[in-house]
Amino acid sequence: MSPAARAGPPGAGRTPSALLRERRVVVCLGSGGVGKTTISAALALQGARLGRRVLVLTIDPARRLADALGLEGGLGSEPRRLPPALLARLGVPPEGELSALMLDMKSTFDDLVARFARSDAERERILRNPLYQHVSDALAGSAEYSAMEKVYQLSESKDLDLIVVDTPPAQHAIDFLEAPERLLEFLESPVVRLLLHPALAAGRTGFRLFQRGTARVLQLLERVSGLAFLQDISEFLLAFEGMSEGFRARARTVKALLEGPQSAYVLATGPGPESTAQGAALADRLAQGGVTLSGLVANRVRLWPGPAPTARAYSPEGEAALAAALAAAHGARFPARDAARAALALARGYAALVERDASALEPLASRVRARGGFVVAVPEFERDVHDLGGLAAIADRLGEVA
Amino acid sequence: MPAAPLRRPAAGLSPLLARRLVVVTGKGGTGKTSVVAALGRAAANAGHRVLLVETGRDENLPRLLSRDGRPAGYAGRSYDDGLRSMRIDPYDALAEYLRLQLGVPGLVTRVLHNRGFRQLMDAAPGWRELITLGKVWHLEQQKDPRGEPLHDLLIVDAPATGHGLTFLDVPRVVVSAVRAGPLKRHASAVEAMLEDEAATLLVPVALPEELPARETAELVHRVREGVGIRVDRVVVNAVPAPPFPAALPDLDARLATLPADARIPGLPDPRVLARCAAHLRGRYELAQEYVARIGEWTGLPLVALPWLAQGVRGPAELDRLAEALLAGEAS
Repeated sequence: MSPAARAGPPGAGRTPSALLRERRVVVCLGSGGVGKTTISAALALQGARLGRRVLVLTIDPARRLADALGLEGGLGSEPRRLPPALLARLGVPPEGELSALMLDMKSTFDDLVARFARSDAERERILRNPLYQHVSDALAGSAEYSAMEKVYQLSESKDLDLIVVDTPPAQHAIDFLEAPERLLEFLESPVVRLLLHPALAAGRTGFRLFQRGTARVLQLLERVSGLAFLQDISEFLLAFEGMSEGFRARARTVKALLEGPQSAYVLATGPGPESTAQGAALADRLAQGGVTLSGLVANRVRLWPGPAPTARAYSPEGEAALAAALAAAHGARFPARDAARAALALARGYAALVERDASALEPLASRVRARGGFVVAVPEFERDVHDLGGLAAIADRLGEVA
Repeated sequence: MPAAPLRRPAAGLSPLLARRLVVVTGKGGTGKTSVVAALGRAAANAGHRVLLVETGRDENLPRLLSRDGRPAGYAGRSYDDGLRSMRIDPYDALAEYLRLQLGVPGLVTRVLHNRGFRQLMDAAPGWRELITLGKVWHLEQQKDPRGEPLHDLLIVDAPATGHGLTFLDVPRVVVSAVRAGPLKRHASAVEAMLEDEAATLLVPVALPEELPARETAELVHRVREGVGIRVDRVVVNAVPAPPFPAALPDLDARLATLPADARIPGLPDPRVLARCAAHLRGRYELAQEYVARIGEWTGLPLVALPWLAQGVRGPAELDRLAEALLAGEAS
């Protein structure tokens, strides 16, 4: 990725609401298990509450978004809208909309082939190529290309104001952001340009035309892989020849969208040192790629549900007073002293977690704030967030940050 | 290289460890790597030669297993108790594979540094998974000078679930996509290794939470449907202990009756205690629900690991996890 700043004009989007109001694409990044899908859905809901027509897109192979949104039967490659009556109950004004989409990379890739193929015969040749079928269907790594394509398609839609993108876990998220660039580089690389040359269709003799290094590479690949496999690759790439200009133009546009002022990046982390360290490592990698984070959402952070006990509460004096209050409330037969001791032990354990979460988060939080980004701590709830009520509670937190 | 039958697993170990290859997978953040390290220590303590294999971009095992935290890299490193770990970088594995196949080291080096080749490989899908599993297969086949297996047990820290299954499925895809040649033979050998029920075990790691529970169930179903690899138990990590003493099961309710203005030193609002207790009870009960659901949804026996307040930082915590992992064997 080029080091061009991706966060748009400095000073913009200092709160989640400002960001959700101003941008067209908000990409939510984070390592695995932090609740990125939940955060993405909550960001989308908050966007809808601001009156925008929002779509949340998941490219994660696991089906979490449908669960979180309570959409029975799962999501497909066509957007599914949440019923307006339901949204109204969650505080979404009439003009606000929320829909969700699960990326089906196979169908997105097929669409692309259908769109850019110059003839029906060419389209069929590509779709039937065994390599294509596996590349677009089963092998890891092609999801990112397709995802970028979908984000772009959606961003062209006049029916949407905002797209929130839920990305796969950490290392794949990087692949995702780099996908347009890698695709461009790939299409413009000498290997591909030579492979795309029709003279090569003749077979082995074509290799002589290659520059030395490349020819060696292909000879090697041929020896290791077996000729049949290489022929598939070459047919596959040849079939793409006519389409490559369209692809290239598309990849450039997608890159411009992701690097432009219309896009913003929000990092999600979990609580505690391990998760925050992973978040910081991801932030480093993003910074190297020229991504400025517009915000940090720390999920499931342990916070005190009211004013925190001080050290005196844990002293013998505090314990005695608590025991006395419990005895007064529950009578002489209640083991008030044991209860006071257990309650304070529990509070002390909780205090350690609150302290641990806060100190783990601080370095990353101050880093994001220093760049003009917002920081939101979402508390751990008593129940897991996997429904709209829970998403609304997180959206409330996002809305509170001023 | 024909798909040679795998050697018999080492005897005298718990069924979990009496394998040649254990692949640990699970949603990100479930503590997969801790489980890998704990299993590794348990097997090493039992006198077995164990190699732990990381497949991610970052190495986490050295930090758990050693004071210095020095990365193991592709060459690998040893720890005090004879345990070893390494990280398979796909490009390193590819270089080794090409050298073995072609026997021309200079040429291979030039090819791998060729810019066009790098671009082609950076963009090409699937080969990373295949070459990584190919290296695992190669490690499994390695022998010491006496002709004995170099490693009694390999434990692989596989990518997080969604991609973890793709990871394991790649050899099958290659076998069906490629018509002939060495690549097809090698992919077949890798596939045979994964499908060997006596030698290879997939261990999913879950958390007692909604989404990891669902995802684990989905993983187990998909493994049963298509990916030919044995899975016979699920590890549930970070299961909290009951928050209240047994004699005080309704502690949160008792605390809730404290008046807001009860004057207790250090407690500006005594209701905080009740809320905190209710929160912890809620989290505990929720965890219990999900443990039950994981069992129900997967139909597999569970091995529960305790939630550790201090996190998993090193050998002390790993050994507690190992104890729980192997205690789960008996039940």
